[in-house]
Amino acid sequence: MLSAVPRRIFHTFFRKPPAQRVTAKVPPYIRDQLDSNTDNEQPLPHDFRTVYPEFLPDPRPEWRNRLRERLERNDMLTRRSVVAIPEFYIGSIMAVTVGDRNASDKTNRFVGICISRGGTGLRAWFNLRNVIDHQGLEIMYEMYSPLIRNIEVLRLEKRLDEELLYLRDALPEYSTFPLDMEPELLPEGAPVPINDIKVKLKPRPWHERWERKNLQGVQDLGLPQRFYNKAKLHEKPWEKYDLMMEYRATIPEEEQADIFHEIAPHYQQLESSRRQSKRRLAQTSRY
Amino acid sequence: MNQAEIRKLIPALRVAMTPKKRRFSNPRGPEGRLFKMRTTVNELIKNERMEVNYNRADEARGYAERLISEAIRYGDCHRPTMELADFWLPEKQNVHKLFKVLVPRFKDSEISYTRVHKAPHVYPSTLFDKVVLELRGNPFPPLEKLTTKRNWIHNILLEEAHREYLEKKYKQEGEEEEEVQ
Repeated sequence: MLSAVPRRIFHTFFRKPPAQRVTAKVPPYIRDQLDSNTDNEQPLPHDFRTVYPEFLPDPRPEWRNRLRERLERNDMLTRRSVVAIPEFYIGSIMAVTVGDRNASDKTNRFVGICISRGGTGLRAWFNLRNVIDHQGLEIMYEMYSPLIRNIEVLRLEKRLDEELLYLRDALPEYSTFPLDMEPELLPEGAPVPINDIKVKLKPRPWHERWERKNLQGVQDLGLPQRFYNKAKLHEKPWEKYDLMMEYRATIPEEEQADIFHEIAPHYQQLESSRRQSKRRLAQTSRY
Repeated sequence: MNQAEIRKLIPALRVAMTPKKRRFSNPRGPEGRLFKMRTTVNELIKNERMEVNYNRADEARGYAERLISEAIRYGDCHRPTMELADFWLPEKQNVHKLFKVLVPRFKDSEISYTRVHKAPHVYPSTLFDKVVLELRGNPFPPLEKLTTKRNWIHNILLEEAHREYLEKKYKQEGEEEEEVQ
């Protein structure tokens, strides 16, 4: 009977579905059972996740491991009790001292502007950039590396962009900072200032096509119109409506709350080390 | 950078999701894929129950859940949420339905807003898995099997017999009390 069915119709109806790789689904998040003995419901500051973003795990479900993340958070707190890791943002000017056995005084100090920051847990890192002797220099530091002796924030501020990689193609004066820069102190409780400086880029060729990156902190790029037309073709305006893409890139609110409640007992210690580092800054600036 | 995005706080999804998005082939690319999802979400909000292929239902379900949770959290006076609803629901009566019908319905809900049931292949059909995707609390008759055994005939008879027995017993006790007095 089947042979009477025309071949095309047969294949329409009895087509095999394409082979799919079966992946385990991510179950919905279930909140931790709060222990009534310990005071878990301490009020947390609202800027916890902007000051300590590396305490949140990598959101890719394939790479998640709750036990490993918890152990890493413990190690991070232990390391923070030894070396004060200050609050900083992209655009802050920092000085980092690391142990260097080849240097004469066994340490190496570098001053620069933080141009990018990433990684989670013990592998969190940041990049510092400076121009020394007309040579652009960038050094990546791992925040929890045992080589790090001291991290200072010389000027705490934010910029208009999330990454300052375009400083590589900017005029050198925008990423030149003196190595003997004095720390600048903010008044207690003041919000972090946003530096709305507009950087001037060198003429092309560049490391990246900056006209496609929607940069806020650069002056007019001065390109011919065809570059902007091409950039317009590469825009992805639908991405802001992709709710699941947005969701897969974040840690859900409930899970963040659980993580920060877990480290809440250490919050006093974190804050005091933050304050101590500020005081040390004040002393060094006085002399 | 593989650091979690921290600019927006998003409540947890109440359904399981795949770790990566499904890449539905589409001549318009990722934009076309999103338009496909939009068709399904719009139909779901409009009709509250629909039969679709499993992959598409499972993918669109996350989008519908997120849309409803955003609407519940921010309401209709929040401009970004309104833009979202405007994109996801091209039929504008559905925008009103989302904020005026679905938000009050799901406001105090602790469980997911949607359900998925396996559906049969009806001959002749393709061999893709079929499911029924529906909103909870819809006005249609339920699809799941009745788990209660209360309507079984012997249970009804037994219940009735038990009631009669109790009635008789109380009556007797009342008569006995009257006799004693």
